[in-house]
Amino acid sequence: MSAAPAVELTGVVKRFGDTTAVDGVSLSVPPGSIFGLLGPNGAGKTSAIRMMLQITLPDEGTIRVLGDPVERLRTDRIGYLPEERGLYKKMRVGDLLTFFGEIKGLRRSDARERALAWLERLGLAETVAKKTEELSKGMQQKVQFITTVIHEPDLIILDEPFSGLDPVNTNVLKDIILEYRRRGHTVVFSTHMMEQVEKLCEHICLIDRGRVVLEGTLASVKARYGRGGVSLRFDGDGSFLRDLPAVESLMDHGNEVFVRLRDGARPEELLEAARGRVTIRKFEVAEPSIHDIFLELVGKG
Amino acid sequence: MTLHVIRREYVEIVRRKSFVIGTIVAPLLMATFFLAPVLLSFFVPSQQFHLAVVDQTGEVGAAFVAALKDTLADGRAKYAATLVPATGGRYEGAREETVAGVREGALDIVVAIPATVFDDGGASYITKEVRNFQILEDLENVLTDIVMRRRLAREGVDTERVASLTTPVRLEMSQITAKGGVEKKDFLTEWAVVFVFVMILYASLLTWGITISRGILEEKSSRVIEVLLSSVRPRQLLFGKVIGIGLAGLTQFAVWSLAGIALTGMGGAMALSALSSVDIPPVVWLYFVGFFLLGFLLYASIFTVVGSICSNEQDAQQLQGIVTLPMIIPILTLMLIIQNPNGPIAVALSFIPLFTPMIMMARVVIVAPPLWQVLLSLALLAASIHLAISFSARVFRVGILMYGKRPSLREVIRWYRVAG
Repeated sequence: MSAAPAVELTGVVKRFGDTTAVDGVSLSVPPGSIFGLLGPNGAGKTSAIRMMLQITLPDEGTIRVLGDPVERLRTDRIGYLPEERGLYKKMRVGDLLTFFGEIKGLRRSDARERALAWLERLGLAETVAKKTEELSKGMQQKVQFITTVIHEPDLIILDEPFSGLDPVNTNVLKDIILEYRRRGHTVVFSTHMMEQVEKLCEHICLIDRGRVVLEGTLASVKARYGRGGVSLRFDGDGSFLRDLPAVESLMDHGNEVFVRLRDGARPEELLEAARGRVTIRKFEVAEPSIHDIFLELVGKG
Repeated sequence: MTLHVIRREYVEIVRRKSFVIGTIVAPLLMATFFLAPVLLSFFVPSQQFHLAVVDQTGEVGAAFVAALKDTLADGRAKYAATLVPATGGRYEGAREETVAGVREGALDIVVAIPATVFDDGGASYITKEVRNFQILEDLENVLTDIVMRRRLAREGVDTERVASLTTPVRLEMSQITAKGGVEKKDFLTEWAVVFVFVMILYASLLTWGITISRGILEEKSSRVIEVLLSSVRPRQLLFGKVIGIGLAGLTQFAVWSLAGIALTGMGGAMALSALSSVDIPPVVWLYFVGFFLLGFLLYASIFTVVGSICSNEQDAQQLQGIVTLPMIIPILTLMLIIQNPNGPIAVALSFIPLFTPMIMMARVVIVAPPLWQVLLSLALLAASIHLAISFSARVFRVGILMYGKRPSLREVIRWYRVAG
């Protein structure tokens, strides 16, 4: 990929008083990709995102967005969905969307037209003259999505976009993200919900306590950390598994456990050791999920 | 971008119910308050009073009845008076008889004039309804005039001559204006005009200031702020907001002015003296707009800080309370300043930027204050507006993304430094 990164952070530091929220983060978002910014709560995801949008300024380091230094950020090329969402409660839906389109550089008539088209598409056409506070929570979320994309930005940045969404709206948002990807735009989103990452992201960056723990394509991350493992489901007391010589670590998911094997150990060793001690219901050689990698890398410290 | 913020603020405020009520209904209420009594007197026929005048003197009664010439709005005589001559011993009986008439309701009022009225001035006014003291006063004046003339005539003095010799002196007020000319002025209405304008100025500054802090708080608490900040710079957002709200304030004032002009015009047309005499010099409107704009910039900055550092309505209300407390001082001292517009209190308060708009507004309308005082107070105001805007814009930038406990003053000052 020869084009300039959609977002590029180099040695970025952000401090709030005595705490360092972002501690020397460098990352690069390839253009036209769906990029997942992962990390536990308080890892510094939102701080990093706010700096990409020039809502706050970094104390150290440089940020480039869409090829330009962030100081020259063209806000009309970016759409943002913050983690904490909200709309002007007393404004009418049509006026609100028009306003958000206008401050992103659209002409008034154009903004109005697009607002109506989006409302139509998301089944909210009849809400155009209603005040936002009269809408259900799910409807408000949809209106919020529209504010993010009404101006057709080249880059959309979504902070924890799936939190608090019902399955219907989760799909609406996923469709919007995939549509953007298809058109060659770039999507950056932060999340701690790993199943979304698994399904959507091509690139991920995991940060913890302000530092980048790993970065790369989903496939490369899995190849690097996915040294084979076994998903096991069984009846009986499985506590002995942890102490087997072939087992490096074990993650208990409740109904299932995921066992990571030591280098050179074969899955059959595990099967043999387990035979007769528990009743095996499922035995599957699998690559570890992002979820497991996440827990392993972040859960340790 | 700023333009869109301005328009949004303006349109959303002007559409609010509270704005419509405040702008249109308030002057309507004022109008009804002033005009209702006038209108009522046209439609509700006033009461005619049936009056019996029991006269022991044999001369005062007839003159008294003849002197009662007041008429009602519909043209009827206000007093339907009957003379009951009762000289000598017939006085007591006639009095009792007419009082019985009042008791039964055939009569409203009995005025009984004994022969001794020339010596001690004593006479009686007997009625069931004591509420109408205005009538008592009217009748007393008429009767006094008659009795006095009779007394003077008895002494052989020419009453016409007395009247011309005792003509009272009237002091006619004039004021040397700023331009050096001399103008005749009606000071009472001028005071009233100043009072009303300063009160409106004060109320407007406070209302629109608080509107700003509430608007910022709304954007914070609804979390709209983050989306806004990903589109416009904090300064654009803040200035757009302040300008939009300021324009809404001016719009309200414009509507009120038109209503006021129409009202005084109507008052004049209806020969309503209380209103037709209110002649507001055009320059007063200009002063008001000027002082409103200057004051608004200062107050807007202060309330920007209030809105930026608070995260919830309770905190904000508490802080608004503290901030607005000193703003009442110009109102409390307004009477003093109107009476002595170049006195030490007025001069001192002029130089406190927070008070300058109200105090100077009052002073320039009543009297021409020394030019250096006007210029100095405006310079101080301008300087503090400059400082307040740069301070509030920085605090705004940091504060709008801060949630939770209200910061201490020291923290706010740290924000100011950080945001520089």
